[in-house]
Amino acid sequence: MKRGIIVDDAAIMRMRLREILEPDYEIVAEADNGEEAIDLCQKWHPDFVTLDISMPRTNGMDALKSLRGSSPDTKVIMVSAVGQKRLVIDALQMGASDFVIKPFEPERVRVAIGRIFDGAE
Amino acid sequence: MKAEHANVFIRSAVEVFRKELGISLSRESLKRKETPVPSLPVSIVLGITGAMRGQVVYSMDHSFADEITHVMVPNKLPSERRKLVNSAVGEIGNMVTGQASIALAGQDNILHLTPPAVFTGKDLTVDFLQVPTVCLRLLSEMGMLEINIGLIESEVSS
Repeated sequence: MKRGIIVDDAAIMRMRLREILEPDYEIVAEADNGEEAIDLCQKWHPDFVTLDISMPRTNGMDALKSLRGSSPDTKVIMVSAVGQKRLVIDALQMGASDFVIKPFEPERVRVAIGRIFDGAE
Repeated sequence: MKAEHANVFIRSAVEVFRKELGISLSRESLKRKETPVPSLPVSIVLGITGAMRGQVVYSMDHSFADEITHVMVPNKLPSERRKLVNSAVGEIGNMVTGQASIALAGQDNILHLTPPAVFTGKDLTVDFLQVPTVCLRLLSEMGMLEINIGLIESEVSS
């Protein structure tokens, strides 16, 4: 089973994402800021991370940049309300696999993560 | 602040409340004031920088905040749900502001949003900006949402 980490400063959103993903993936950790997310990725080496943008300490865009260097094999799916066109383009150019804009349907998240691993293994 | 910016927030709030909560909002009033100080006891404050700067402050009654939380986590016990109220209303404020920022930023600009800060009680000691503000009031069957939009365009876009 693929392993993931959920990163969002809102506890209620971490809870929702866990409920959506746990039937299909092992959620090994959660973080409420980008700095903790970077540390957890180095500890757990997850297959994927869902990453919010607007967070305290290190925001999601800075965390994405750092993760591409420190955890290049971990796929990153941005999950954020701040879906401004330039931010979406920047995130994808920096290596994010997808960008899910809140509010979202659960299926949108499942599809975003599922197609990363389609054909893998 | 331009009138069309207020319309962006109205559309965003209506859309987020419909999609996320299944709650229908309708516009009740719009007035101008000098600062985004909220008038209801639960407040969600977000700062914006970049191509525009200022504050957006949402406010509502406790009962509406509780209803929003109930809709977002219907399966939790009341005791667990109470712990999630600030997270729920903060995330709703984040979603409405985030949706609005998509339209406000346009093709080439970026607006940076601070994480939402949630305050409860009427005796707030938050430093609100002195900035021309539009105060919107939107009504639903569950309660009123007030949105105080104190934004000005930055001289140099990011």
